[in-house]
Amino acid sequence: MNIETAGLARRFGSTQAVAGVDLATGPGVFGLLGPNGAGKTTLLRMMATVIPPSSGSLRLLGRDPGRYGPRREIRRRLGYLPQNLGYYPSFTVAEFIEYFALLKEMPSARVPGAVAAAVEQVGLGERARTKLRTLSGGMLRRVGIAQAIVNDPELLLLDEPTAGLDPEQRVSFRAMLRDLGQRATVVVSTHLVEDVGAACTEVALMHQGKIVFRGTPAELTARGVDGGAGDAPLERGYTAVLAEARS
Amino acid sequence: MTATSAPARPRPAAARPSAAWPAWRLLRLELRRSPMPWTFPLLAALFAFDPYRTAMGYPAVWTIRASVLPNKLLPDFVVFVVAIAAWAGSRDGRRRTLDLVEITPRPRWAGQLAAWAATTIWAIAAFLAGTAVLYAVTATQATWGGPPWWPVIVSCAELAALAALGFTAGALWPGRFTAPLAAVATFLLSLEGFRNAVGRSSAYAVLSPTTYVPGNDAGVFYRYPPDVAIDQLMFLAGLAVVALGVLGLARSSGAGAGLRRGAAVAAAAGLAAAATAVGLAGTARQALPGTGRPPSATSPLGMQAAWVIPALHDAASDRPLPYIPVCQTVAAVPVCIHPAFRVFLPDVTAALGPVLREIAGLPGAPARAGQAASGSLVPRSGQVLVDWTPEGEISGTPPVFSYTADQVPARSFGESRRAFVTGLQAALVAAFVPAGVGQPATGAPAVPGRRTVPAVAARVAMQEALLMAAGVPLGTQRYQGLIQVQLPRAAQAQADAAAQRFAALPAATRHAWLARHLAALRAGQLTLARLP
Repeated sequence: MNIETAGLARRFGSTQAVAGVDLATGPGVFGLLGPNGAGKTTLLRMMATVIPPSSGSLRLLGRDPGRYGPRREIRRRLGYLPQNLGYYPSFTVAEFIEYFALLKEMPSARVPGAVAAAVEQVGLGERARTKLRTLSGGMLRRVGIAQAIVNDPELLLLDEPTAGLDPEQRVSFRAMLRDLGQRATVVVSTHLVEDVGAACTEVALMHQGKIVFRGTPAELTARGVDGGAGDAPLERGYTAVLAEARS
Repeated sequence: MTATSAPARPRPAAARPSAAWPAWRLLRLELRRSPMPWTFPLLAALFAFDPYRTAMGYPAVWTIRASVLPNKLLPDFVVFVVAIAAWAGSRDGRRRTLDLVEITPRPRWAGQLAAWAATTIWAIAAFLAGTAVLYAVTATQATWGGPPWWPVIVSCAELAALAALGFTAGALWPGRFTAPLAAVATFLLSLEGFRNAVGRSSAYAVLSPTTYVPGNDAGVFYRYPPDVAIDQLMFLAGLAVVALGVLGLARSSGAGAGLRRGAAVAAAAGLAAAATAVGLAGTARQALPGTGRPPSATSPLGMQAAWVIPALHDAASDRPLPYIPVCQTVAAVPVCIHPAFRVFLPDVTAALGPVLREIAGLPGAPARAGQAASGSLVPRSGQVLVDWTPEGEISGTPPVFSYTADQVPARSFGESRRAFVTGLQAALVAAFVPAGVGQPATGAPAVPGRRTVPAVAARVAMQEALLMAAGVPLGTQRYQGLIQVQLPRAAQAQADAAAQRFAALPAATRHAWLARHLAALRAGQLTLARLP
């Protein structure tokens, strides 16, 4: 298992953001769904070793991120796209990705090739020398994805990766996710259930810091057959599970 | 090519930590994207307006021109450098990239050091470019010696240290106002605050290159004393290491226990170095340049004295530098000057010529005039201080008139040529006919005792008369304070009248009278009534 959590919780002051998550998943694309404030981003940040859990256990890639040495090993094999991507406006696309490739301790000789490949993979090959300040929101999102995958991570954590992408880019992105999921554990936090249906092999739905559903997209769709609101079958499953959790 | 058409990448071998530290790649990225070069046009304009213009107004003497580096160029640059460093340090906070940079296996500290180094390298490059321009122009004009490097080294150290402090402030308190606040704080603390806190005359003032600038003839008559520069280097390097060490100790540095220990050791070592430098500065004492001797308590030469730090002092610095003076004969008297000040020889001969012609052949008249190091004319310990002035003295056999080096560049420090000429004439006159009253340490006019007024008045009158004979009217003497003895009002009026009478006599008559009465006049045996 690449991700193993048991009773994982995180509290910010009086707010319980994540309240006891048990999860175990291996390679594949894992979708994390849930309404605003469900705790998806906090869970992802804990998995990305940005913040430590308040309680519970977390093992990533078979290692304990609470210890410096293993944490460093995890980080070497980790890719992370935060919800709000910060960037350096004066850097070019290639420079920004190279910067993170270097910080990810990639061997120097591999960096130029890996940067070029990552830029191509997100479809920004022709903009490699463009300054970030001139890019649109969608392009910046793709730069964020490129920096996350530049080290060919074994664990890829993407928080709202398709936000700002146009439909064509989203289609391309889902194909890329399916490809990455062949070799790595990809966790995608999103509001867009169609992304989950198209790319994820497994899905979890969070509500108030807890996982209230876990299964395949087909199983989630099935939960909406008898009720739920929405235009698409997966949306009906999503709303049905949430309604059940709230009741 | 889009993601759909991109071929699936085969997973390469698991990434291993790079064997070679790719610091140069990070540094290259940071150098390319540092905001520091954006300030270069402004710094260039500042350089042309302030340090360069100031330096070109100074004589082409290496040490004097080099004094502009810590005194003008550094203060002009440092505020911008600190602001840019703080801006660079606050980048991750401002740009919200903390989540990204804090989860990389390479500690965030490494990236921060690269960003600091890039800012510092650009800042130092800009400073060195300014230095190169100043030194290149000086090389074409200077008549003696070579460029001093200590001011360059300590200035670069200050840029690096303050950039480290600014960067650390930016990293610890990221925000868009950190940079301007850091710039203002630097200006207030480093420049004005430091000056006011320790005072310009305090030994601790030597810690700052902008506060302490060596004397004008350091590196001319004697070696450039490295004591203070070494102490400043130790202090500034210590500050830089402390600031960067604190950055490594910060929770967000991403450093492991080993690296944190390293940062702590570095910070402690930096603190120890800075504290040692402060301690050494506390032991600094003033010494007459090139002599190692403390200045006399009554000497007004305090500003010309150099700071010596005994623990760092090398006696070799006190050894005079060999040189061959440049001379020109006037009134049959060779008037000499240090070759570094060769350009002022016409001014010096123009000043001394009229007085030398007036006193030629008289007892005690100088057979030679030469330039001496600043402070070298202070009487030996125990010697009664009578009529010594910082500008000159007549001593030796045959008599030699010595004037000090610090007076010559004063010609270019805002003093007009006329003021310089009359000042040097007054120095020669005062040395030739001593007024017979001690010079107070404060530099204020000397006031004779009541019993000595008649004798002093006669000598003051003679000084005034000789200056008038040399073409310096009484009004100019008064306006410029050339006569450094203050007589009671009535006695002064009588002395002025006597001086005017004497100066109105034919030159031959004046010369003949002086030949007969000079010894008695100097001995204080003549009163105003005995003057013709």
